[in-house]
Amino acid sequence: MAETEHGSGFQVTSLDGLASIFPTQRFVRDAAFQAAFESDGLTAFRAKPRAVVIPETAQEVVAAVRWCHENSVPFVARGSGTSLSGGSLPVADGIVIALNRLNRILEVDPDERIAVVEPGVVNQHVSDAAAPHGLYYAPDPSSQSVCTIGGNVAFNSGGAHCLKYGMTSNHVIGCKAVLANGEVVTMGGRSVEAVGPDYPGLFCGSEGLFGIGLEITLRLLPKPERFHTVLVGYQSLQAAGDAVSAVIDSGLLPGALEIMDALAIEAAEAAVACGYPPGAAAVLIVELEGPEEKIEYERRQLEEVLSSTPAFAQRVAVDEADRLSIWRGRKSAFSAVGRLSPDFLVQDGVVPRKRLGEALVRIEKMSRESGIRVANVFHAGDGNLHPLIMFDGKQEGALERAEALAAKLLRLCIEMGGSITGEHGVGVEKRDFLPEMFDPPTMALMERIRLAFDPKRVANPGKMFPGTEAPSLGLSGLHPLEKAGVISRE
Amino acid sequence: MSETVAVPENLDELRTLLAHESVVLPVGNQTKQPLSVDAQARLISLRGLSGMLEYEPSEFTFTALAGTTVAQVNDVLRQRQQYLPFDPMLVQAGATLGGSVAAGLSGPGRFRYGGLRDFLLGVKFLNGEGEAIHAGGKVVKNAAGFDIPKFMAGSLGRFGVMVELTFKVFPLPSHRHTMAVTCRSLADAMQRMSVAAASRWELDAIDYRPETRTVFLRIAGPAEVNQALVQKISDLWGADVEPIPDDDEFWKSMVELSWPDRALPIAVKIPAHPALLTSLVPWAEQHVGMDLHVSVAGSVVWALCDSQQEVDQLDRFLTEHVSAGLVVRGDVREAKMGAWAQQEIASAVKMAMDPTMKFPLL
Repeated sequence: MAETEHGSGFQVTSLDGLASIFPTQRFVRDAAFQAAFESDGLTAFRAKPRAVVIPETAQEVVAAVRWCHENSVPFVARGSGTSLSGGSLPVADGIVIALNRLNRILEVDPDERIAVVEPGVVNQHVSDAAAPHGLYYAPDPSSQSVCTIGGNVAFNSGGAHCLKYGMTSNHVIGCKAVLANGEVVTMGGRSVEAVGPDYPGLFCGSEGLFGIGLEITLRLLPKPERFHTVLVGYQSLQAAGDAVSAVIDSGLLPGALEIMDALAIEAAEAAVACGYPPGAAAVLIVELEGPEEKIEYERRQLEEVLSSTPAFAQRVAVDEADRLSIWRGRKSAFSAVGRLSPDFLVQDGVVPRKRLGEALVRIEKMSRESGIRVANVFHAGDGNLHPLIMFDGKQEGALERAEALAAKLLRLCIEMGGSITGEHGVGVEKRDFLPEMFDPPTMALMERIRLAFDPKRVANPGKMFPGTEAPSLGLSGLHPLEKAGVISRE
Repeated sequence: MSETVAVPENLDELRTLLAHESVVLPVGNQTKQPLSVDAQARLISLRGLSGMLEYEPSEFTFTALAGTTVAQVNDVLRQRQQYLPFDPMLVQAGATLGGSVAAGLSGPGRFRYGGLRDFLLGVKFLNGEGEAIHAGGKVVKNAAGFDIPKFMAGSLGRFGVMVELTFKVFPLPSHRHTMAVTCRSLADAMQRMSVAAASRWELDAIDYRPETRTVFLRIAGPAEVNQALVQKISDLWGADVEPIPDDDEFWKSMVELSWPDRALPIAVKIPAHPALLTSLVPWAEQHVGMDLHVSVAGSVVWALCDSQQEVDQLDRFLTEHVSAGLVVRGDVREAKMGAWAQQEIASAVKMAMDPTMKFPLL
């Protein structure tokens, strides 16, 4: 049944059996269409899949996965392709299973405060559907207007509110999935509590290596009644970092604590005219949320803390529009950096919060030594750094130099006792660093777990684990949706 | 404690035991007795490996040895006005951190910020060959590699011997206030729990005691904020609302599973949802040897029973309702109750976690 399809000459399985599962228009081998799937949010990498299948039902997904398992054909599940770690990068000898048409919200139960959704449902749509009941879905990656729950689950996505509410896995209580070995399982259920090993917890963040979630049960929270959002300007990054410590030490638990440095502010200002304090070396955004009575109390507490810091400017959001305008600067920061530099890499690492200042000093030194500009945006509350490494891809070797600097930054995070990723996942981008963070017995265990779910390594190969086939590294600038201003990066 | 329980004092002793015993079940202080027995396995208690290793209040994290008691952890955290918001269970009984993770138990505080699984950041454990696995991390945010720490929550000692645990902690609210809301029926109680859970009040805990048809609402924060919110809730539900002045005792009796004034030695955890509550609560009311406490706004039922006979009936009830339970206290034949998910993948994953089959099957 094997035929030679590739110029490279290796034997590959015919896709005829797979094609028979789908109507012609949903089994796509058209080059132009496939090109849209070549890359994801990590635009430096690309690979062309052999075919793209577009299931409309869970049964079709199950059939496709079983076919891939039986025929040893790799598959990559894909939602909106917003992964910043190359998590949905296709495999050249495999197929893409595009899940965007599995976008039904199957149930919103206000009494149980849960939503059951298909994997292609857009993150924001869950909150929209829950809103009439005064509920919302807490995880809010910056791409939430387009990224899908399936991808959020696979990569355990974060957002600006993780310190208080946790990441995606803290909100997934159940999941029906087709595993890479073809088995259909139901993990967890409708209760936030369970007995026995926590399979939904293990499945979240498995980067598509275990299989595909078909029906995901999400926990919904009551929408906070009131927000109190403050934007504070500082004359040094250190002062902004110290202010974060002061807020934390005061016993407050803000929903968000974000810092942007001068370069990031400059970019955001140019992009969306967010009106951040001119001349600030850093801005801090603190957001409190909760019932009106609590916010009334905590805002005084926060005011007191902030007044003890060397802030030179302060803006309190007067209404929801004002609050959103403060957030607009922060949320646009990443793509806005595209205005300062033709190309940039978004990094994502974590350091212990108290070492943020030290990490920033060292990043600045590395930037100076390498002659590469780095803008910094970070979730300061949980020590999650997002250095933006700027370069001009037209210059020979510039991308490689930027990647070398990115590698140094990740090693800095490991050295400081942190993590190589806070929320973007390992994907293709950081797979070589995973063994630097985890010792050989732990890596071996992860590999064994992977093989338990996927004995043939057909599910999203080339991600998370090092030493597998390398995709081609090319340069293609911003994600098309990013250029269009539809999404921004976290 | 039984002389068959080995109590290593350090990792080397633990490794030696692992090398010499063919099947091992790690335990802590055996406060959850039905989960701390196995006919074939040598029991190894981690209580000799105890103590806080790192505590960084400004990081909201600590790392402690698995045999450290939760009570000890709570004391250390309280000194810095921090806490584990999920309300660990059986604290006074002597529960250890490791045992709490293995059993996967969370108390009423789970309602507000999530359960034990959500606060567990990292686990160091020994596999059957004595190799140390370092799963997860020590920072509050981490998406690198598989989330093995979550998988250890509820694993009942079947995947390895946990030796070190890293948790996230939160600032301890300065005050706490509890109200009792008298309800007319289970339906009324469920409706009020639902309203409270979806409300703007940001309640800290929502529990229900069927015997007295009382919903308990706990609020945590600065005293003046609590007072203001209590007033609003009282305005809404009027004479049905009564403050509980000494709420410490009330919540302790819940967390220790010791609330009834009669001897009900067997305790069962039952994950729940409204449909199950609607049938379970009236059914249990027919059983004099059983008492229920509904916790986490209806997501968990704690059933206390007086005998194996009651347990057998509850087991049948759960099986019929395709629900599962776990006996966490008492002398019973089997800790697993009702309909546990049976999936092929579980045996493959067990082999991955425990390739030498050093730990019993679940």
